[in-house]
Amino acid sequence: MSDYREPTYAEVNRDILRTLLETGSRYWIVFGITATIAIVCFYIPWIYQWHVGLGASGQSRSDVWGTYLSNFIFWIGLSHSGTLLSAVLHITRSGWRKAIYRSAEAMTLFSLMTAAFFVLIHLGRVWFVHWSVPVPNQMGLWPNFRSPLLFDVMAITTYLTASSIFIYMGSVPDYAAVRDASTGLRRRLYTIFSFGWRGTAREWHTLGWAYTFFAVFVIPLAVSVHSIVSWDFAMSLVPGLHHTIFAPYFVCGAIYSGTAGIVTVMYLLRRCLNLERYIREIHLDNLGKLLIALSLIWAYINILELFTGWYSGSSFQYEALTYKLFGYYAPLYWEMILFCAFIPQLIFWKKIRSSWNIMFVISILINIGMLTERFLIVSTSLPRKFLPNAFGFYFPSLVEISITIGSFALFATLFLIFIKWTPCVSIYEVKETLKPLRRVE
Amino acid sequence: MAKNIMALFQYQDDFLNAARKLKASGFDRISLMTPIPMHDAEKIAGLDKSPVRRFSLIGAILGGLSGFAMATACALVFILPTGGRAIITFPPFLVISYEMTILIGVLSTLLGFHIVSGLPAWRDKPYRMETSIDRFSLVVGFDPDDDPALAEKIMRDAGAEKIIQVEKPE
Amino acid sequence: MGKMRDKLKQYLKPGYYEKYDYHWGMTIDLDRCTGCEACVVACQAENNLPIVGEKRFKERREIKWLRVERYWEGEYPNIKLRFIPMLCQHCDQAPCETPCPVAATYHNQDGLNTQIYNRCIGTRTCAVYCPYEVRYFNWFTYKWDEPLEQQLNPDVTVREKGVMEKCTFCIQRIRQAKDHAKDDGRRRVRDGEVTPACVQSCPTKAMVFGDLNDPNSRVSKMYKNPRGYKVLEELNTLPKIVYLKKADSDV
Repeated sequence: MSDYREPTYAEVNRDILRTLLETGSRYWIVFGITATIAIVCFYIPWIYQWHVGLGASGQSRSDVWGTYLSNFIFWIGLSHSGTLLSAVLHITRSGWRKAIYRSAEAMTLFSLMTAAFFVLIHLGRVWFVHWSVPVPNQMGLWPNFRSPLLFDVMAITTYLTASSIFIYMGSVPDYAAVRDASTGLRRRLYTIFSFGWRGTAREWHTLGWAYTFFAVFVIPLAVSVHSIVSWDFAMSLVPGLHHTIFAPYFVCGAIYSGTAGIVTVMYLLRRCLNLERYIREIHLDNLGKLLIALSLIWAYINILELFTGWYSGSSFQYEALTYKLFGYYAPLYWEMILFCAFIPQLIFWKKIRSSWNIMFVISILINIGMLTERFLIVSTSLPRKFLPNAFGFYFPSLVEISITIGSFALFATLFLIFIKWTPCVSIYEVKETLKPLRRVE
Repeated sequence: MAKNIMALFQYQDDFLNAARKLKASGFDRISLMTPIPMHDAEKIAGLDKSPVRRFSLIGAILGGLSGFAMATACALVFILPTGGRAIITFPPFLVISYEMTILIGVLSTLLGFHIVSGLPAWRDKPYRMETSIDRFSLVVGFDPDDDPALAEKIMRDAGAEKIIQVEKPE
Repeated sequence: MGKMRDKLKQYLKPGYYEKYDYHWGMTIDLDRCTGCEACVVACQAENNLPIVGEKRFKERREIKWLRVERYWEGEYPNIKLRFIPMLCQHCDQAPCETPCPVAATYHNQDGLNTQIYNRCIGTRTCAVYCPYEVRYFNWFTYKWDEPLEQQLNPDVTVREKGVMEKCTFCIQRIRQAKDHAKDDGRRRVRDGEVTPACVQSCPTKAMVFGDLNDPNSRVSKMYKNPRGYKVLEELNTLPKIVYLKKADSDV
């Protein structure tokens, strides 16, 4: 854009703090709607299910896993891009990261929380969930560390801890800015949040070092988290799930859907909070390029899965593949291929890559495709394992569909709380990208 | 107790010049506050490699070991053979210790940050709100043999926008 | 110290399951099986399996620790019906045991694959990992209408919603037989002393149950039958039930 004028330092503070300090009625209306949907569609069905038992879902004997688990993978996947991308770009010192990373990390945090809810919903006896954590107890029993599910418990706890610390530490100087711009109770709260930050050289220095180390820890962590999630499936003997390709497939799919999620969130933030001066075409352009690369890798792994399954000649594998490609859920499979492998190729055109509206639509389509992909993983392989006598058929019940819809509202509610709590664009890092304030040019 | 002098600068080169000159004139107790992280300011403050990295390394190593130890201990306290696997099973326990490496590594880096930076520090210190927006500020503390007037002059010459006497101890 | 080293060696190496006190196993002679499902009913009565009703059955949420699978072979008129009773195979390398996060399913000292209902949190991972689909989940808390609750077996628990359950080889009867042996001052249970409900009820005596550690037991002898095979043996789960192939007269 030729008429783009760089904001001054003071303008950055004003523009970004305004999103935090000024709350219009539109915000409250949207917040009220999402919170209501979250309660009605998410919590009430869950409580009902808690009461009657898991029979409230559509799961049955051979298809004992259903949308709860597929949504869990989806949300974990969505969480993957934020922190991972932010950490990778921090270490490679990419300047374009700075305007978008805060909200991307928030997306990580809140989709991870939503995913954690799905673990609880999935359990038959959720009131005993603490047994899967290694805490001393009167029974003298400990969790089974050989279980891929326990890897999951460890990985998700670690991921949740690390990504909350990562986003919090990155926001400390901004909390100081909020503190300085506010009065009363908010000022006192943010004094605590900001640890009494003053921006001395020692503080910046320590934060920089610590932050880099967080980034270094987070990258292998994020890769391991989705690998471990994939192992929940791949460690089983189920044909169609027992693939070595599963870990990279899941990681790639996760980053893919996460990046698409970032585009969606960027679009909405930019529109609703008037952040056009900060979230700019360069971000869209770079995210678009990333999406193309990821969609190609994703398509490649999908082809590979079919190829190795077909080549193995194993009757079980063959049956699983045929059911996936031509069975009851075949339309969903081909929809997924269309949305995740073909439509993203449009981004190759610069014109499409620089259009916010088209990218918004594409990013949503990608995530619909990825939601489908996760659904297909459980719904096409589990009901058809080895013994034909036990073949089943899985279709989600109303409770499951309602909870799925409610989870999006839950995520939106958490995100809306976040944008009023933390500046959704990093103030100090945006300033870093501006022209330095020098007397001598 | 001598008063501290605080100066606000509009330009970062003025600010850095002032800081360098003060250092050269023998004022050691200066602290530099900036709205953005600045490598030059950190260099003037004499900061090079942060001890935070030691915390990260030690935390990560301890975490890895404790992860494996935890998994082994839990398996041995109550021996429950599963799936024909060994009781002390290396591949899965290594996954656990991998996650624990990161978890404890991150937590000890956080601890390191708090120890090294001295935060949280909620007591009243010399600070001006403009620092979090677009001003660079310098606080000079004095030893008994220092000359406050000299410091003030250096800062004014460098182009300080505002010079304030502050009572609060640094 | 030497003892410690031995112990460590044992912990670091798999294969300890071969050294169990008992090694319960079963053979099912498909040549004798008529598919009468007496075993299914006996199992239902012995182990307090809930009657789920028609609606739940249609949803495939029935609980039958032992089911008789029916397979049709060929096209009419040359059609053949095959039966195979399918129950927990008590695999020595059970794929269902490793993934339980709370160790609610494990191998006990008799080499049985056990399910601890009280410990189960209902992740249902074991059911996914089981290739034989013999693990049944309590989707609801089932009720026994009066006076049916009078017929519940007092030796077996009644499971609540959210718990996985499966064939135990009638562990309560094994326990009882061991107690009797101890009362009589014997070290081991005699062959034929333990019969699970299904074995007991089989009118054609198609099922044989016993200790595989005892080379003279009936089941050990049946194990060596050349007609014997194990289901999905290629998965290397080491199942403990040997099926004896149906001898077709017209092959």
